Amino acid sequence: MIGVIRELGAKSISLVEGLGRVAGFGGAIVGTFPRAPFRFGFFMRSLYDAGVLSVALICLSGFTVGMVLGLQLYTTLTRFGAEEGLGAVVGLSLVRELGPVLTGLLVTGRAGSAITAEIGAMKATEQLDGLRMMAIDPVHFVAMPRALGLTFVMPLLNGLFIVLAIAGAYSVGVTIQGFDGGVYLSGLEDSVRFVDDVGQSLLKSLVFGMLLGLIATYKGHTCSPDAEGVARATTSTVVTSSVVILLSDYVITALWGV
Amino acid sequence: MRHRIGGSILERLVRPSARADAPTPRSPRARFQSSEEPSVADEDFISVRDVHLAFGHRIVYAGLDCTLRKGDIHMLLGGSGSGKSTLLRMIGGIQRPDSGEVRVAGQLLTNLSEKELGEIRKGIGMLFQNGALLDSMSVLENVGLPLREHTKQSAAEIRARVASVLSSVGLEDVEPLLPRELSGGMLRRVAFARAIVMQPEILLCDEPFSGLDPLNVSRIESLLLRLNRELGLTIVVTSHHMASSLRMADQLILLRDGVCVAGTPEQLAGSGDEGVTEFLGDDGRAYLALLHETRDRGEA
Repeated sequence: MIGVIRELGAKSISLVEGLGRVAGFGGAIVGTFPRAPFRFGFFMRSLYDAGVLSVALICLSGFTVGMVLGLQLYTTLTRFGAEEGLGAVVGLSLVRELGPVLTGLLVTGRAGSAITAEIGAMKATEQLDGLRMMAIDPVHFVAMPRALGLTFVMPLLNGLFIVLAIAGAYSVGVTIQGFDGGVYLSGLEDSVRFVDDVGQSLLKSLVFGMLLGLIATYKGHTCSPDAEGVARATTSTVVTSSVVILLSDYVITALWGV
Repeated sequence: MRHRIGGSILERLVRPSARADAPTPRSPRARFQSSEEPSVADEDFISVRDVHLAFGHRIVYAGLDCTLRKGDIHMLLGGSGSGKSTLLRMIGGIQRPDSGEVRVAGQLLTNLSEKELGEIRKGIGMLFQNGALLDSMSVLENVGLPLREHTKQSAAEIRARVASVLSSVGLEDVEPLLPRELSGGMLRRVAFARAIVMQPEILLCDEPFSGLDPLNVSRIESLLLRLNRELGLTIVVTSHHMASSLRMADQLILLRDGVCVAGTPEQLAGSGDEGVTEFLGDDGRAYLALLHETRDRGEA
């Protein structure tokens, strides 16, 4: 019994220490924002890597999720004679929850893991030490542009996901199932409010982008400098970020007020 | 005593006719000590005192003590895992010991913050074992990176300087290539060029000869000798290349069992220490004798 308590205590301390290190790393990234030079080229490249290269995935996933939503909701709502609510339910569920959360999870799998793997490989091949020996701060040079890039692209990709998903639901609900297009769009327009719904969606995706940027760069910087360590860090980024995104989604939703 | 007198080291080494007023990085001397008012004895330019370090259960250093004289070439020898590369990393401040002191030009590195270490590192060039070039950057961007970060040189000046440094290591027209497009030997030479592009006061080289053909071993060796003899760079090299080590070294430092034995090649070869004799081997001692003979004949 004492052993179990001791182990629990040790794990708790380790967890708190880990959180402290992540927070410290986050502070170090934020601390580099005002420091010159701002490497605009690196920032643009991280926007391209995390954003442009994710567009196809986001479009395809968004449209598919929308199609499934259209099909499921139309069938379910018809059972209760409430099919006129299709546009409102699709819009609200996508804008408030599914858009930011699914975008966050998709970007985690595509860009977050890639960032961890890239930084981990740089660590394994002593490139980060090489930067330090040139008196260049690796956090400023490597982590900051990537974390900032993820924070910027997440709301944009979220918007793209939502638009494509609404189109996907329209294509199934209206074009295939024969629901009235005008009713679908007016239901969507009437139910989704800019500040309450779109604002919440943007805030969520911004927070998810920041958290993913922090976790992905932290895991890369602190991984064991070998192939196994990089692989483990990459997996850890996906798992940790996914859990953190889901947890923070609940926290934001609860604080914002449903 | 050799003193740097300003101007680009490489322009003077490689292209003596290059214009003398070319912009150069801030002299690293200022970061260490003034030649007029030395605050640290040249004998103790780099000092390692009672350093202990372990990675898990593996003890790397158990009270390591050594001093590296300013302006000398120091060759670190020892078997694999004896801590040669780790000692270079400690001198560069990227590896902290568990206990003990590492001083560079009197500065206790173990007490400095990362920012303060950055200032020290501007005067240190380091060649990593695998090059450590940035994958996503071209050769030009890699070699020019320290200049871009720490000097106010224009893009054209940086390009000219990078070309000059690259030619000193026997590379031409490789600027647009990415590291993955280079052979192993070319990659090491590009990394070497990056290590010396800022005219460091101290040059740390981790296995600079490995993977190079004899011609390029000789080229890098003579470049190291010229950087040292003409410009007074303190050079610390880890190597398994015994012939180069014996030819170049002012001091040999043999690491074994967590401590070291240091001395001139002659002192070590003449020492009765069994471990040293074993490490140098018959070939090493014979080579040293031959080297002596050649030098004596030259002087005569």
